[in-house]
Amino acid sequence: MDLFLQTVINGILLGGIYIVLAAGFSLVFGVLDIIDFAVGEWVMLGAFAAYFGQQYLHVDAFVFLPVVFVAFFALGYAIQPIIFRVVSTKTHLPMLMGLVFTFGLSTLMKGSALTAWGYNPRSLDTFLSDTSLALSIPGLRLFAFVFAVAATLLFIGFLYRTRTGLAIRAAAQDRDKAALMGVRVKDLASVVYGLYAGMTGMAGVLIGAIFSLSPQMGAKYTTFAFFVVVLGGLGYVPGVFVAAILLGLINTMTTVYFNASYSFLMVFLLLFLVLIIQPKGILGRGT
Amino acid sequence: MSAPAAAAGGAAGAGRYRQWLGLAALVVVIVLVPFVLQGFWLRIATGVLMWMGLAVSWNIIGGYTGYVSFGHGAFFGVGAYTVAILMSRFGVSFPLALVIGGVLGTLASAVVGPPTLRLQGAYFAIATWALAKAFEQMANVLGITGGPYGTSLPPLINDHFFYAVMAVLTVFTAVATFVLAERSRFGLQIKAIRENEASAAALGIHTTRVKIMAFAVSAFFPALFGGAYAYWVTFINPQSVLGDPITDQMIIMALLGGLGTFWGPFLGGALLYILKEVLWIYWSNGTAYLAIMGFVICLIVVFRPDGLISFFQRSNARQPGPQGGEG
Amino acid sequence: MNNNATLITSLKTVVGRRPARLAVGLALGLSMLFAFSTAALAARNYYKIGVVTSLSGDYALGGNLTKRGYSTWARAVNAKGGIKVDGKRYKVKLVYADAQSNPKSGADAASRMIQSQEVDFIFGPYSSAVTLGVAPIAEKYQVPMVTGSAESPEIWKHHFNFTFGTIPSVDMTAQAPIKYLTEQSPKPGSIAVIGINDPFSKAAATGFDEAAKKTGLKVDSFDVVPTHSDFSALLSKIKDENPDILAVGGEPQDLIDVLKASASINFSPKAIVMHYGITDAGFRKEVGSTFGNYTIGITDWSPDANLKDDLFGTAKQYAQAFEKHYNLTPDYTTAACSATGEAFTAALQKIGAKPPLSRGQRVKLMKALEGIDIHTFYGPVNFAKSGAHFHDNSELKPMVVQVVDGDKYIISPAKYKQHDVVYPRPPFSKLLNKQ
Repeated sequence: MDLFLQTVINGILLGGIYIVLAAGFSLVFGVLDIIDFAVGEWVMLGAFAAYFGQQYLHVDAFVFLPVVFVAFFALGYAIQPIIFRVVSTKTHLPMLMGLVFTFGLSTLMKGSALTAWGYNPRSLDTFLSDTSLALSIPGLRLFAFVFAVAATLLFIGFLYRTRTGLAIRAAAQDRDKAALMGVRVKDLASVVYGLYAGMTGMAGVLIGAIFSLSPQMGAKYTTFAFFVVVLGGLGYVPGVFVAAILLGLINTMTTVYFNASYSFLMVFLLLFLVLIIQPKGILGRGT
Repeated sequence: MSAPAAAAGGAAGAGRYRQWLGLAALVVVIVLVPFVLQGFWLRIATGVLMWMGLAVSWNIIGGYTGYVSFGHGAFFGVGAYTVAILMSRFGVSFPLALVIGGVLGTLASAVVGPPTLRLQGAYFAIATWALAKAFEQMANVLGITGGPYGTSLPPLINDHFFYAVMAVLTVFTAVATFVLAERSRFGLQIKAIRENEASAAALGIHTTRVKIMAFAVSAFFPALFGGAYAYWVTFINPQSVLGDPITDQMIIMALLGGLGTFWGPFLGGALLYILKEVLWIYWSNGTAYLAIMGFVICLIVVFRPDGLISFFQRSNARQPGPQGGEG
Repeated sequence: MNNNATLITSLKTVVGRRPARLAVGLALGLSMLFAFSTAALAARNYYKIGVVTSLSGDYALGGNLTKRGYSTWARAVNAKGGIKVDGKRYKVKLVYADAQSNPKSGADAASRMIQSQEVDFIFGPYSSAVTLGVAPIAEKYQVPMVTGSAESPEIWKHHFNFTFGTIPSVDMTAQAPIKYLTEQSPKPGSIAVIGINDPFSKAAATGFDEAAKKTGLKVDSFDVVPTHSDFSALLSKIKDENPDILAVGGEPQDLIDVLKASASINFSPKAIVMHYGITDAGFRKEVGSTFGNYTIGITDWSPDANLKDDLFGTAKQYAQAFEKHYNLTPDYTTAACSATGEAFTAALQKIGAKPPLSRGQRVKLMKALEGIDIHTFYGPVNFAKSGAHFHDNSELKPMVVQVVDGDKYIISPAKYKQHDVVYPRPPFSKLLNKQ
């Protein structure tokens, strides 16, 4: 029974990390109609930012979190107009154009990172690395979980309790109608993408602290982001909570009680099944 | 329903005869190449053929029908593994194994097609992507595929033979696609679905059936190419035939060339593959070529989203799509 | 010139502007390729060696290790004026190609080197996947290939005549640390094995499993997981069984993940064995004093081993020269790659073949390689002539090593021992509080 509890807790903690990773991603899809292929690379950059922050500035990763947020927000805000232009052209399938563009972006980021930093995996330590609480709950993961949930709740609070947030959600629902209502969609889009980059960068810091980092680590997180966001309902940010925890639990349960080699297979099959049965996500609130 | 008809009529009137000549010219070039290139360069040419064929196949479902499949590499992998397993474990001959591979790939698409094609836009893309990843995982854990160790085929190293195989497959794909997509009612139907699926249905097109057929046709050729590829490289593993790069490249080639056009994927396939190989040959010491490729892709999407073929077209015969695109 | 204009114009009117441009473009492209493809076939007074290895992609880390190893040998040999054959010295020149961590690119690279660049022989790739893509090509064109890093036993089962390896495969070497630990006290009784689902790591894990069974250890669990997995759940399950040893086959990134995950759940078995990783300087730098401290591993070579030869001097001298050039410590993969050149040297001298090598000479070279039995700074190089490890360097026996505070020490066999083993391993809580 103890192992079961342990597995569940592990699953939840694992899921927590994915929450902050997916929250921004989900919103970007809702507002900008982009599925950002480069989400994993944002994570990677966030992790490396924290790594170098530790190496050269001797700042602990967690202290660096707000710095990463601000820096990445600025970066995302700056890049956004290009993306907006790509998905707004009058060609066929702007969604596909966005996808390919972000794929190009991801390849560019990964290639640049590999060229600049090499292929050696790095390890990022924080003051929490060695703590462990009752039931072998890793202190680091617990902190990451709490942080992730808090950050995402703040994010959701912003979306649902402020006027800008309202405008963003309106744009996510229907971009053209929102524009007709006077919403400055282009400016909002920049804010949204900036928030997304900031959140995902922070997710990268957490992930870097818990796992190892390398320039090629992005692909895995792109996969998870897709999963969580679809399951939670594309564009519906609160759905991310449920889906992320579920992902974590599937991972851990399959590993412990079934067969570890099948853990990813289960994830993909489940994603496929959800899509064909209930594409609006398990809560049915996707756009 | 006048837009696709006008487009087809326009094409028929001005270039009906020209398109066939273009195809004939392509065949002539393909036949001449092995007399001009040898050894390693013939391998490159073989690769160009294969990727042109893959881009053209993907374009059937992605460009012409408007359903963006992000998992098409799965069919390539099915063909590859079928040929690998049949030839190495059961001693089946290559031609027979290849045909079986093609059939199995098509069957797979017929099975996953119906539920998946009910989805629109982004959802369809992600569903196909998830499926392909699931296939990759399966290949990693099943015994018959050799798992992570992969499978070796009875080795045959013969540059001319494989060039011929790929040439035949590519020409077959090109002609079949041309006939189906540009010269038949089926072509009109899938283009109608892309333009506006609801209207197409209202006009009496059995959209579900047509979509499934398009999906199956678009899966058949990659399965054949996959089978040929397996025999060509003599060793495959899940990463090399079921990984993301196969699908990603198919899509980018079709897109860069010109989505939903006939010649676009040929151009995109040839150019991107040659660019990649040239960068690899002359810059192989670094990872900078990855960064360059990514940058080039971004440039093209931003500045020339209609694809490179638009440089060769006087006007874009297609009408702009439904507002906001799919999804 | 006027005629050309009319030709193009008439072409345009006949087939239309669009296809006409395409046809011209294709013709241009083809003629460019043709121009490239007619390579010069000159006589030369140096050996041209092709290096196929993964400089990008998943195997980039290992691929670069091999590249450094091969380059080091080339530099050393050229510094002495070249390989001495029949009284005259011939320098060596390496041509590199990136296999991009996939078999097709490896095959293309090999094809280019053999057919366009006409190399005399090949230094082989990192990873069995790429090697299996390259081997049939080497076989067809009869170009001998020796690889300094492909430890999966799969390769040798194919019995390729023209492919050899200086590293003993992992199913042979995995036994060493397990056997060693069973001789320590308190004697371990149980073991849990994790393997990443890639050819090398899975083979390593299988090797640990078999070694465990042979020595009578109880195997609590044997799990194969996809790469990039999260290990916390798996390790919780394993911790529940309380094994004495945790043995992991994986690449450095996964190994770091395992160590950090174990630390976070306070899982501290008496010994942690990892096949790769600790021999890699980057890994030791990142976690050698923290999570990875006291991890036990395997190495096929160490700078502190009492080995030497005429080209590099002692193992220590090899390491010093290497460090001076690259600012990194060489590991066994790098050393094995440097040794491939020595294998070829011995074989070339035996048959007296001068560059460029004809096909017939390459066949003789292959036969000569089969018969060599040399002792180098890396250890013995002697390729098996039959059996499951056909053409693998099965004579070389591995050493057991341990990381202590970021440095690597040999703990077995006794003749090379530098340090007493730290066993049982201090728990993570003590380890990390030391900082």
